[in-house]
Amino acid sequence: MTRIGWLEKWTLRFAVVGLLFLALAILEGALMRVQLVDQGALRGMESLLMNVRLVSGEVSSSDVFYSMLTAHPIVGIYGFAYMCVMGAFYFLVPFLLKKEIRHKRLVPVNFWLHIAGVLIAWGAGFFVLFNGLYTLYWPLPVSYDRVPLIGSIIFGLGLVLIEVNVLLFVFNLFSTVLTRSEPNAPGFWRTLFSAIGIPRLLRRGGKVSDDARPHPDELPVFIVAVGRGSIDTAINAIVMLSAGALLLVYGLPTLLAGVRMDPAAIDSLLYKNWFWWGLDMIADGNVLMYTAGTWYLLIPLLVNRKLYGESVVRWVILADLLVSLFVWSHHLLADRPQPFGLQLLSGQFVTWGEFLTMGLTIFTVMMTIWLARPVKFSPALKFVMGSIFGFIVGGMAGLTQANVGLNLVLHNTQWIIGIHAHMMLLGGLAMLLFAVIYALIPLLTKLEIRSQRLVNYHFWGWIVGAVMMAYAMGMAGSQGMLRRTLYATTQFQPYMIVAFVGALLMSVAFVLFLVNLIGTLGWSNVLSLVLPERWLARRLGHAAA
Amino acid sequence: MASEERRWFGFLIVVVVLFNAITLSPLVPWQSWSLWSQPTPDRRVTIEMANYEFGLPPQGIEVKANEYVEFVATSRDVTYGFGVFRPDGTLVFQMQVLPGRENKIVWKFDAPSMYDVRSTEYSGPRHPEMFIEDAIRVTP
Repeated sequence: MTRIGWLEKWTLRFAVVGLLFLALAILEGALMRVQLVDQGALRGMESLLMNVRLVSGEVSSSDVFYSMLTAHPIVGIYGFAYMCVMGAFYFLVPFLLKKEIRHKRLVPVNFWLHIAGVLIAWGAGFFVLFNGLYTLYWPLPVSYDRVPLIGSIIFGLGLVLIEVNVLLFVFNLFSTVLTRSEPNAPGFWRTLFSAIGIPRLLRRGGKVSDDARPHPDELPVFIVAVGRGSIDTAINAIVMLSAGALLLVYGLPTLLAGVRMDPAAIDSLLYKNWFWWGLDMIADGNVLMYTAGTWYLLIPLLVNRKLYGESVVRWVILADLLVSLFVWSHHLLADRPQPFGLQLLSGQFVTWGEFLTMGLTIFTVMMTIWLARPVKFSPALKFVMGSIFGFIVGGMAGLTQANVGLNLVLHNTQWIIGIHAHMMLLGGLAMLLFAVIYALIPLLTKLEIRSQRLVNYHFWGWIVGAVMMAYAMGMAGSQGMLRRTLYATTQFQPYMIVAFVGALLMSVAFVLFLVNLIGTLGWSNVLSLVLPERWLARRLGHAAA
Repeated sequence: MASEERRWFGFLIVVVVLFNAITLSPLVPWQSWSLWSQPTPDRRVTIEMANYEFGLPPQGIEVKANEYVEFVATSRDVTYGFGVFRPDGTLVFQMQVLPGRENKIVWKFDAPSMYDVRSTEYSGPRHPEMFIEDAIRVTP
């Protein structure tokens, strides 16, 4: 058994739970794919599951499909991605800054609270069939003739727990970065100015150049990206917290006192603007900035060369932060009462700003790899390349739909969720998180990844499966197939069968990844993440004797 | 900024300008009236949505090809979508139907045919039922 440090162990715990949530999200995704191929295919399983569900009466395939569709993104984003990000940042931020986490006690609190929040929100879908979808378009989640009242309350509670926890995590990150570790270290304000880039701006009169020496206060570019991305994370958490709290404010008086508050008190368009402004801080905010920061950290380490164009990328991250604050209207391009000026400016033009920021980011990392030739494609680097590919394909699809003209025929179709969202999440984000896991395992445990062959199977199975699924969904969308719609006809069945095969391929690749991960760590190390070490050592000693 | 970066940045700017210029121009057919000419509609069709149902005009919807039709949709309960589809299932146009608002779109059908109507936004578990075949007749 390898001796793993306290923080390293927590990082691994976050990663393991994150991967378990990914497994759950994959299972839900595959089941929904089955329903999209044949609506009644899960009837046998559904009647079995009714024995553990807390609902009575007849439940239709549609009820089950939409409750899964509600839980799926919560598990995938907050369960998988956020857990992995929290674990990775809790290790990398203090490691790079050479100081300790400011509030160590918050690390386990974050771990358990996040699991509880995600499971409660998921449970609202699984046990009570809450079906308001993650979009929670007002007043659907409080229309109790369409969604279960108790499910709405439980989902709201889960969301509140998740977001409070995210705010605690962001607080701990900023506390760690901004706390003075030694008397001569930069204090709060100098660190903050440095994170924004003010010393660099003052010293060079605004001229961006790559050859100058770094400012002594300057933070590593990864930390800058994490800091700026975390501003979006905090905004997202506050907005989503308000959405969750609203479900409780409407649901609890109805449940406890039979008092029904008027949903019309909240304007649906205003709500939609507020909600998408916050929710989009994930899709167009922290995901892009955290991703850029992770590329800036990993690629120089993996190819053993200084990051190309570091001065420029610091400005790019700042531009990304500003862009992310003003792009939400691309989700409201089909809402005719939304002011057209906002749709054109925020929904289209500012959104296209991401083409510039991500275009420069990708150029920077590709140049870094190019200039470092010959390059050994380690497991982590392969997955980094896969994530770049995923972001290029998914990003371009996203920019195509962020258009006042083209959105008219693309909005709410399978195009959006397939070739844009799932390509970004499965091709871009998930591959990057796999790269981080492959890179961090040797650093955390001093163990090398056991099977290169399984790494290759994982890589090709995942990327080919993701492309198959995204492409089939995108094609179906271009033929008029809507997202969030369970078709009774077989019109789009061929596309859905291809998408299902893609999902299966990814599932197999994921299982091979887990096999390799457990083979690398060994059962004793995996068990030591959940069982007391002394007890485990004694048991293993007995077994050896 | 190194010269390679400047050149790349210039290329990105060109792509941004070209893509946005083309998609805002009348090369995308409906931009010619929705963005540029903004004509006075020849006809107005109202749709009232509630309880998972489309409330279409009692006489049905019959319009002529190449005339400008304004569709005005309202919802009495939750958010729906108003989507018009060709017989082969491809989408012609759509809009969200927000409760408490007048949701309007002007459209010009270029070919006589029958068109289906489907709600394009999830409104609850009965959402897939919101489909009317041959809801719009477009005559020459």
